[in-house]
Amino acid sequence: MEKKSVSVTLEHVTKRFKDVKGKSDVIAVNDSHFVIEPGELVTLLGPSGCGKTTTLRMIAGFELPTEGKIYIGNEEVTMLPPNKRDTATMFQSYGLFPHMTVFDNVAYGLKLRKIPHEDIVKRVNETLALVGLSDYGDRAPSKLSGGQQQRVALARSLIVTPSVLLLDEPLSNLDALLREQMRVEIRKIQKELGITAVYVTHDRVEAMSLSDRVVVMKDGFIRQIGSPIDIYENPNSRFVAGFVGKAAFFPVRVKKQEANLWTCQLGEKEVVVERATTDVEVGTEAVLMARPESLRVTEKGKGKIEGKVRMNVYLGNSMEAFINTSFGEVLVQIDDPHAKKVFEEGEEVSIDFTPDRVRLLNENEA
Amino acid sequence: MFTKKRILQFCTAALIFLLADFWMYSTLSSDFRAYEAERNFNEIELFAKTVPDERTAQDFAQWVPTVKDIIPGARALYLAFDEQNFNFIAESGSETARALFQAYNSTPDFQKAMESVYYLEPMKLGSTYQADYSLDPDTISADTIRSQVYFVPVVDETGYQVSGAAMILVPTSTATGYSNLLKTLFIAAAVVFLGILLVLTFTRDPLTGFMVLGLFGIVIVFIAYPLIEAIRLSFMKDGVFSLQTWKESLSPTYLVALWGSLRLGVLTATISTLVGFIFAFLIERTRFKQKKLMTTMATMPVISPPFSLSLSIILLFGNNGLISKQLLHLDTSIYGLGGLTLVQVIGMFPIAFMTISGVLRQIDSTVEDASLDLSATRWQTFKEITLPLSVPGILSAWLLVFTNSLADFANPLLLSGDYRVLSTEAYMLVTGRSNLGAGSALSFILLMPTLTAFLVQRNWVAKKSYVTVTGKPSTTLTELTNKPVRITMETFSWIFLGFIASLYLTIVAGCFVVNWGIDYSFTLANWGEALARGWTSIRDTVTLAAIATPIAGLLAMLAAMLIVRKNFPGKRILEMLIMTPYAIPGTLIGISYILAFNRQPLLLVGTGAIIVINYIIRELPVGLENGITALHQIDPAIEESAADLGADVPTVFRTIVLPLIRPAFLSSMSYTFVRSMTAVSAIIFLISARWNHLTVLIFNFSENLRFGLASVLSTILIVIVLSVWALMQIVVRDDKLTQKTISTR
Repeated sequence: MEKKSVSVTLEHVTKRFKDVKGKSDVIAVNDSHFVIEPGELVTLLGPSGCGKTTTLRMIAGFELPTEGKIYIGNEEVTMLPPNKRDTATMFQSYGLFPHMTVFDNVAYGLKLRKIPHEDIVKRVNETLALVGLSDYGDRAPSKLSGGQQQRVALARSLIVTPSVLLLDEPLSNLDALLREQMRVEIRKIQKELGITAVYVTHDRVEAMSLSDRVVVMKDGFIRQIGSPIDIYENPNSRFVAGFVGKAAFFPVRVKKQEANLWTCQLGEKEVVVERATTDVEVGTEAVLMARPESLRVTEKGKGKIEGKVRMNVYLGNSMEAFINTSFGEVLVQIDDPHAKKVFEEGEEVSIDFTPDRVRLLNENEA
Repeated sequence: MFTKKRILQFCTAALIFLLADFWMYSTLSSDFRAYEAERNFNEIELFAKTVPDERTAQDFAQWVPTVKDIIPGARALYLAFDEQNFNFIAESGSETARALFQAYNSTPDFQKAMESVYYLEPMKLGSTYQADYSLDPDTISADTIRSQVYFVPVVDETGYQVSGAAMILVPTSTATGYSNLLKTLFIAAAVVFLGILLVLTFTRDPLTGFMVLGLFGIVIVFIAYPLIEAIRLSFMKDGVFSLQTWKESLSPTYLVALWGSLRLGVLTATISTLVGFIFAFLIERTRFKQKKLMTTMATMPVISPPFSLSLSIILLFGNNGLISKQLLHLDTSIYGLGGLTLVQVIGMFPIAFMTISGVLRQIDSTVEDASLDLSATRWQTFKEITLPLSVPGILSAWLLVFTNSLADFANPLLLSGDYRVLSTEAYMLVTGRSNLGAGSALSFILLMPTLTAFLVQRNWVAKKSYVTVTGKPSTTLTELTNKPVRITMETFSWIFLGFIASLYLTIVAGCFVVNWGIDYSFTLANWGEALARGWTSIRDTVTLAAIATPIAGLLAMLAAMLIVRKNFPGKRILEMLIMTPYAIPGTLIGISYILAFNRQPLLLVGTGAIIVINYIIRELPVGLENGITALHQIDPAIEESAADLGADVPTVFRTIVLPLIRPAFLSSMSYTFVRSMTAVSAIIFLISARWNHLTVLIFNFSENLRFGLASVLSTILIVIVLSVWALMQIVVRDDKLTQKTISTR
């Protein structure tokens, strides 16, 4: 099953659809331009309707770009129909052939390639073993559980040794526990085979835990491309910050910049921030972004933002404190709560943070 | 897809091809014309050499007509040279040529030719001339024929001096025949090439493109073109545009027939809907026991062959009928509106029954429970809840039966008597008076109400359905009827079904009776004679239907896949065209087919092919609908997976789509077979001495009062149809099990 990994390149790809009445155009994907490196797993992350599935379907060949070009390796595939592309897709609904057994499902791609029968049997059994379904060859797909069907779909895609594996929200039909298992399994197999993969999801946890890189999309635009750490820690906009994790936003005014230290006016207090996006300018309004786990609750007057505890939610390994402030409700995550002082509901408190754990964002970037 | 670059590419390639095509065509045709002219020249000179030795006027008069022996169809005129006036004077020969000469001899062309002839040079005139004569010299009738004009000198005895000339008319028709063929060929080549080029340039999936193109080709040639021909002919009289046909068709004589059709339609539709509602209500809304049996029995008449019900009504209530004459000694006639309504109601109430029960089944009985719970009486509940909710179904049923009644052809043919309806009137015009134009005009008049009803049903009533999928449907049924009402309904239904059953039994009885109405003694002779005379028809009918069935089934499923899953320009038009034959009466299709396919290059009239094509075209709509419904229930990701794994479109169709929609495929096929076996309205126009249809033979026997033979053939037809139907039901039912496992993914 060894195969050389290839890259996937999208060159200024735009996709426009006609709207329902067929009159005006709806832009599904707007000038997407990025390269997926060989062997990399890239996740397209975004809310529904952001163009992530359309992008995937264009790579697979089910949709044609209105403009732009797509390359798999060095070969341009923009106009090639799906059956001529070296890609394999795993669909959200799996798309298993209901009139064939598990074995025949997995063997389908090999039969089309006119491979001798003995080889087919051998390879199908190997692949079924890889996904842990050795004994299920004779079953009908409808007789399997969701997770098993999912494995069949994976096996069916992998057996044709595609250059690129495309996964369209493959885990969304599974329950939470199974989803976690399958996530790990998919990642394992992908790494083992060194196959280039594109994974579409709207689930940020899935995206963070699986990917080498994440492409965050909204309304057809790519908002940020980066490693999971990058997009979590250094989001370039309020949207990305909010979409990949929980965050509190405070309006500030940037007063001065010295090296990488920014001094801002936050309410009546002056605070110093160490990290900022490149487009933050002195003398303008900006947004201060803070993750719940980066904030601390201290006694009244000792922190930077004053407030009152509205509610504490105990989660076992952590506790979430909802604190009413003049900037609205702010969520603070307290890890290992028993080791710390817990403020009661209704108590007046103060929220504090260190300059290196918050980030300044340009206010105009939604 | 439609980038500037590609459009440019396409236009360039198309231009180059068209230029090359045109260049080849013009070269070939001018070569041919030159060759033709040279050959004519040679032959005319040959003719000039046969000039008689005795150069008297009489000899010339005998010599001139012999030109037709050398050049078929040609005419010659001998012109004597007048030395005094230095010109040629028409002397003897063809009158046509003489008239032409008189008309044109002073034109420069003729003057030049005569001058040339004077110098002993034969000449062909540059332009062609119209002249009235006939290609066959022995007939008197004349057509206007475009002709070439040749002049050849006739020398005197010395051999050096011109004494006269022969002017020869040569019809260009043989040459035009050839160049027309050439033209058709090159146009066809251009169309095919441009189609292929179009697909190759603008689609990335040429196979789909070719399939779409092929489907378009089929529907244009076999659906659109015949209908356009029928419309065209209804506006023509003696080869020119005229409203004469339409004026005649809208005259009182035929308006009576239109009125007759409408009256029959309204009566049949109303009664059928009533009967259908009673059956539907009994089966869907009561705890009546023999639901299955009754459903099966009540749907039987739908697949029963045409004529069979009429035949048995005649056997029972006709002029010599068993009940009317032998038992009751009545003198009333069953022929006419009454008999027709009876037969049509029996034949068509299943349509109403199935439509209404479809709607009733979907009304969740919880809403009735809710009404009863709010202390409405059962009658109030029925009146205020059940009935209003089933109104769309009732309207649909009425319109569908109305359409069917108007298009019905077989029953009026046997039973109408003096009562006149449009469908048979059109048939009489075509077969009795060979007036195809008027026949098609009448069919179009018939089309108006049927099409209106069809479109209203499709686009308005069917969308007005109140049925919504609510939560869990209730499993228990609260009956809205009390016992007496239910028993009345049950009794009525059983009597009605009993009557239908007795009609079919009558046909069976008819097989074994010497001469119905006169001699009721038992015989088997009918079987021998019917089989002897009808064997080829039975064989042909089954063969043709068996050929059409798989083609229609496959074509319908393929079209369904393309329409549901692929995007291509003109998709709506394609779907509409395929659906067209469903909405138009069979008579119109039959007439349009004989109009369109009676000449080259599509000379199909009289062949078995035209019958097969007709079957396919007429049953495609139902197959297409089945296929579309089935495909909508299949997750597109299944097909996409297959394509993704490397299957091209035909492979996806063969290995995935077809197996998954097999129930729809099979039931479409059985439907096509049954309908083809029992077809009559279009087929009656298309049969020939070689290919007869069983139903038409039954009609002929009934018409000639050979009821025994008609009964035997009807029985055979019923048995064939029923067994095929039953077989398919079993196969499809077994398939539904696999279907179930498919849908519960």
